[in-house]
Amino acid sequence: MPDADNAKNGGVRRREFLKVLGASGAAAATIGCTSENVGKLIPYLVSPDATVPGVSTYYATTCRECSAACGVIAETRDGRAIKLEGNPEHPLNRGGLCARGQAALQGLYNPDRFRGPLVKQNGSWTRASWDDAINIVSQRLTNGRATAGNAVFINQHESGSFPTFLDQWLAAFGMRPHLSVDLEADHAVIEANRRTYGVAWPRLSFADAKLIISFGADFLEGWGASVPQQLDFADARAKLETAPRFVYVGPRRSLTGLNADQWIPCAPGAELAVINFLGGRGSAPSRDQTGVEPAVLEQLRTELGTAKPSLILSGVTTDNAGEVAAAVAALNQSLGNVGTTIRNADPITAFEGMAGPADLLDAIERMRAGQVSMAFVRGVNPAYALPKSLNVAEAFQKVPFKVSFSSYPDETTELCDVILPDFHALESWGDAQPVRGTIALQQPTMDPVFANTRAASDVLIALAKKDPTAAGRFAMKDYRTWLSSRFPGGDRGLTTALTKGVASGTVAPRAAAASTAAPRRIPALTSTSGDFFLVVYPSPTLGKGSGTNKPWLIELPDPVTKMTWGSWVEIHPETATRLGIDRGDIVEVKVGNVAVRAPAIPYLGVRPDVIGIATGYGHRAATDVPKFDAKSTTNPVQWGYGRYARNLGVNALDLLPSGTGSTGEIALTATKASLSRIGDHVTVASTEGSARQHGRGIAQAISADDLSRGIREPAEREVRPDGTPSQEFLPGLRSPVAADAQGILGAPSKPDQGKNVGLYDPNHPTRMATRRWAMTIDLARCTGCSACVTACYAENNIPTVGAPWQNATIFATESPGFNIGRGREMSWLRIERYFEGANDGSFGDEFETRFVPMLCQHCGNAPCEPVCPVYATYHAPDGLNVQVYNRCVGTRYCSNNCPYKVRYFNWFGYGEPGRKQYAFPEPLNWQLNPDVTVRGKGVMEKCSFCVQRIREAENRAALEHRELAPDEFTTSCAAACPSRAITFGDAADPQWTVAQLAQDRRAYHVFEELNTFSAVVYLKKVTHTSGPTAQPSPPATR
Amino acid sequence: MTKRRKWTAIPGLIALATAAILLSAYSGASSSQGSQPQQPINFPHTVHVQRLGMNCLYCHYTANKSPDPGLPAVSTCMGCHQIIGPTLMPVAGVRTKPYKSPELQKLVDYYKGGAGKPVPWVRIHKVPEYVHFPHMRHVNAGVTCQTCHGKIQEMPQVYQYSSLNMGWCVSCHVNGYSPREGEVAAGYASADTGTVTPAGAPQQPGVATPVTSANAQQLSSLPVAVGRQPAKNAAGRSIARYDCANCHY
Repeated sequence: MPDADNAKNGGVRRREFLKVLGASGAAAATIGCTSENVGKLIPYLVSPDATVPGVSTYYATTCRECSAACGVIAETRDGRAIKLEGNPEHPLNRGGLCARGQAALQGLYNPDRFRGPLVKQNGSWTRASWDDAINIVSQRLTNGRATAGNAVFINQHESGSFPTFLDQWLAAFGMRPHLSVDLEADHAVIEANRRTYGVAWPRLSFADAKLIISFGADFLEGWGASVPQQLDFADARAKLETAPRFVYVGPRRSLTGLNADQWIPCAPGAELAVINFLGGRGSAPSRDQTGVEPAVLEQLRTELGTAKPSLILSGVTTDNAGEVAAAVAALNQSLGNVGTTIRNADPITAFEGMAGPADLLDAIERMRAGQVSMAFVRGVNPAYALPKSLNVAEAFQKVPFKVSFSSYPDETTELCDVILPDFHALESWGDAQPVRGTIALQQPTMDPVFANTRAASDVLIALAKKDPTAAGRFAMKDYRTWLSSRFPGGDRGLTTALTKGVASGTVAPRAAAASTAAPRRIPALTSTSGDFFLVVYPSPTLGKGSGTNKPWLIELPDPVTKMTWGSWVEIHPETATRLGIDRGDIVEVKVGNVAVRAPAIPYLGVRPDVIGIATGYGHRAATDVPKFDAKSTTNPVQWGYGRYARNLGVNALDLLPSGTGSTGEIALTATKASLSRIGDHVTVASTEGSARQHGRGIAQAISADDLSRGIREPAEREVRPDGTPSQEFLPGLRSPVAADAQGILGAPSKPDQGKNVGLYDPNHPTRMATRRWAMTIDLARCTGCSACVTACYAENNIPTVGAPWQNATIFATESPGFNIGRGREMSWLRIERYFEGANDGSFGDEFETRFVPMLCQHCGNAPCEPVCPVYATYHAPDGLNVQVYNRCVGTRYCSNNCPYKVRYFNWFGYGEPGRKQYAFPEPLNWQLNPDVTVRGKGVMEKCSFCVQRIREAENRAALEHRELAPDEFTTSCAAACPSRAITFGDAADPQWTVAQLAQDRRAYHVFEELNTFSAVVYLKKVTHTSGPTAQPSPPATR
Repeated sequence: MTKRRKWTAIPGLIALATAAILLSAYSGASSSQGSQPQQPINFPHTVHVQRLGMNCLYCHYTANKSPDPGLPAVSTCMGCHQIIGPTLMPVAGVRTKPYKSPELQKLVDYYKGGAGKPVPWVRIHKVPEYVHFPHMRHVNAGVTCQTCHGKIQEMPQVYQYSSLNMGWCVSCHVNGYSPREGEVAAGYASADTGTVTPAGAPQQPGVATPVTSANAQQLSSLPVAVGRQPAKNAAGRSIARYDCANCHY
């Protein structure tokens, strides 16, 4: 373009140019017409084996996001891990993967990871070379041998060989065995399990039980190994009429509680009385004692007497959790559940060898007393994840020399003297022992994201080699060599096993040091003062704060309250009314002198005398860090817990007393608190629309009784529009598409020029209209855990929009979750959560919860299609409702016309690197799926049924000269689902599972009356008769 | 440029630009068809394909199995050029005197015995990011490389042969393609007769042989899928899906 060139050469000064431009009014001159800059093609220097550019390679490895250590398969493309999926061969997760596991990728590519070693000099951090950093540590180790016996190594709990390796290393330097710490594990239960069942964590056979009673055990969300437990629970629920009834006892209804058929809202601390009553013969404890009508408990005891075997679980977090867990274990034993539903002969060994918090607290007290000469910390953040009243930071600072292996800045690492950044689990070698007789392997899935980081295991070897006495014992080249030398079959065996990720064998367990520390008991709950019981619970998505540096997890709505990007305080609607608190009013929760402030969320599932706050937020506010610039690549270290956790919510652990419960565990329901409104109000960052269905029949259910009697649906629902069977799936045209949109191209030779069928003709030579992609979602299996949501984010390059810097440029208020509060979230797949019952919000009324994964329904007769003025959304011949981003001009008519509200608009340039709203700061963008377009500003987008996976499978089949095999592939959400609730496939071909499931007796379409012929079939939830307080079962749904 | 001339020149330039925009919009050519950038190494496809008869897949090694055609690793180049070094010896019929090739010297300098840097080739053919073009589907359906890329074997310096506009894509998907046309496009068959030129004399080592249909087919046409033939329209031409979601997602 001549004038543009001219301007570049300086021929016309900008001011002159603009003057003339304004004068002539020829604004069009600014439009470019030069050819696109297409960039460079960079080949390999030396091509690696076994990689095909543009085709994924898969590596089986182990997830290290929690202690369970599920097996994952990492999909890598051109050397970068882009997606994690469960390993179907793994004995624990069997192909499923939770949201936190999915989000491991955002830990791998976290923009706040340390790029290399750091050394604290005169109170400020300076970069150091590995040689210097190792020399500093090595000198301390060699010189400090005299006091080495006092050193403390705190390591994240792992099963497998690394703990043994670490102990050997520590022994070589004369140090004690390390503390294997998992601050999220339920230590009271582990202790009781060890004593009663002989194992740390037995496998729970939900499907064999007739009745499940959980005392606060949130087995779907972090209590134990949540993915395998969820799989087993879903399998139990899939027994439909004969499925076990599930009763949840506790002051707050968690996600697990919402999946229960009956909630017994027992007062905190009164669980023990209930259990003793259930196991004993006496009369039921009074209502004053437990907060529950004695009749309810008597009913439950009667049921427990007949329903055999049953399964009783404890997960209470009060100071007497140890007694409760022991009583539950004894009750299971007396009921004969051990060996049937509690399979202690087949334990989940991943929890063996864990140190209790009492040991950790003991070490911290030694630090405070100045007895600890050296401290190492790897993968745990005790300065954040332990109650503030324990003053961990203060004690930790008294240690003269502290080394952190953390990959990320966090509260504990900030206090250290040297940081030796570890590899992410997806970059390192390792192994795990998930169950007896099986070794799961962990292998690097890619070269390290930051070349100047090093595996902690290899750093330990390097340190040992520098020490004259330790060097002899650490002659191995690296950790992998050591690992393979111990592996059955040696290096060759290891290499073979890597293809599957699992091998049979046993890792010699670490000689577990018996706990020597005595519990330091906190005052009994009833002796504390305050109007409300404070129930602090680990966030199902963020855990105890370890997930808060991953925007996927922060933006993933809490499954219970649908809250994102910040803390909230759950109170019962009755309490809210009584105190005049509205949703979003800022309230102050005060315990003694400590107070936290967060918006109030009225929630039916807490007792009126209970306040619920989730952990995970309130990482140290890094106020001394300059204003964060999302575009800058030279930002200083984001202390606190990285850029995403900055100034986000409050830490509920700040309110807890110092000390432990009876078996040394940290009690989370440990104190009473007072609550007051402070007169401030915010728009909460919640994705919830209405918590009620308003008779729309979105989430339908059928009682087990009706189902067993063959009643399909209530009589008034029998009439169907046009007499069309609801489950019918026809390939081809099901949409009022304008004939001229595609007809003439279809069969130009026909007399009608192909206007009648065109590309929707099942006999079209390309056979493009022979399939009808469809999905079934079984609501009896779905638990609302939201793993599918994160899987969708990972697969489809969905931006997160809630970071404080991502809101509008004008009128910017840098508040986290601003965009979410305005309904701008982009989640193609969301979990809707509806309450049934307790309509006036009063406590004591039974209520039921239904979860509905809601995504584009790919309607055969889609309301969005005819309203698009530019044909950007149209009906593909294989049944997909397609959004063509490059056609879209952003009128948003489609979204207005969509009855399911599953279309999402890019209000800002979340996918455009130059903008401040950019959602993928380097290197988070390395995770982007190259098969999916990154959408720009002003474009509508929605679920595509993972069309890229459909095309990939079709391409693969074509390459192999065959047709697609039934169930050959599936969508990202279906692959991740730890309940196997989602099935995807071709509904027009009866060989696919989805075609059979769509004919299920429980099948229904959402808004069938709108005649949308949607491709998503829901299978009704099955409800089981509730306890005596239940309302007469409402005529199923609607 | 004086200030006075600027005042007259700029409106003129703006008018020209407007005209250019209108014209380009009219022709639908937001394409960079014909662009022929300077490459870091002046790689002659003519020598490698036409004279030496190398198969396209030797270097573009994933064109038949991946969406990505693949670009040869520098080590692949060096596989031959380790021997055929920067100093080229006299060869009967090609050159009489030794010749020091500056282009091959560049290649050696890039490679540095495996410790160097990859060659930063300038990309010529690119479809926008919202278009997914799987090479392997086309190659395995019998579309010759030259159908889209032109007679690369005759290009001393490669340029963008096709417009790569959507209309260009769709016309083939809808109107169909016959392998014969591909061969004509590739220069392996002659368009008027439709007959295949008979095979030339057996190649003598070191002697350049013109590419003929027979050896070209052997060299660069690729195995067509067996058992799962591309769809054919009434006229017997291969057609393919052409709805939006086939390529846009």
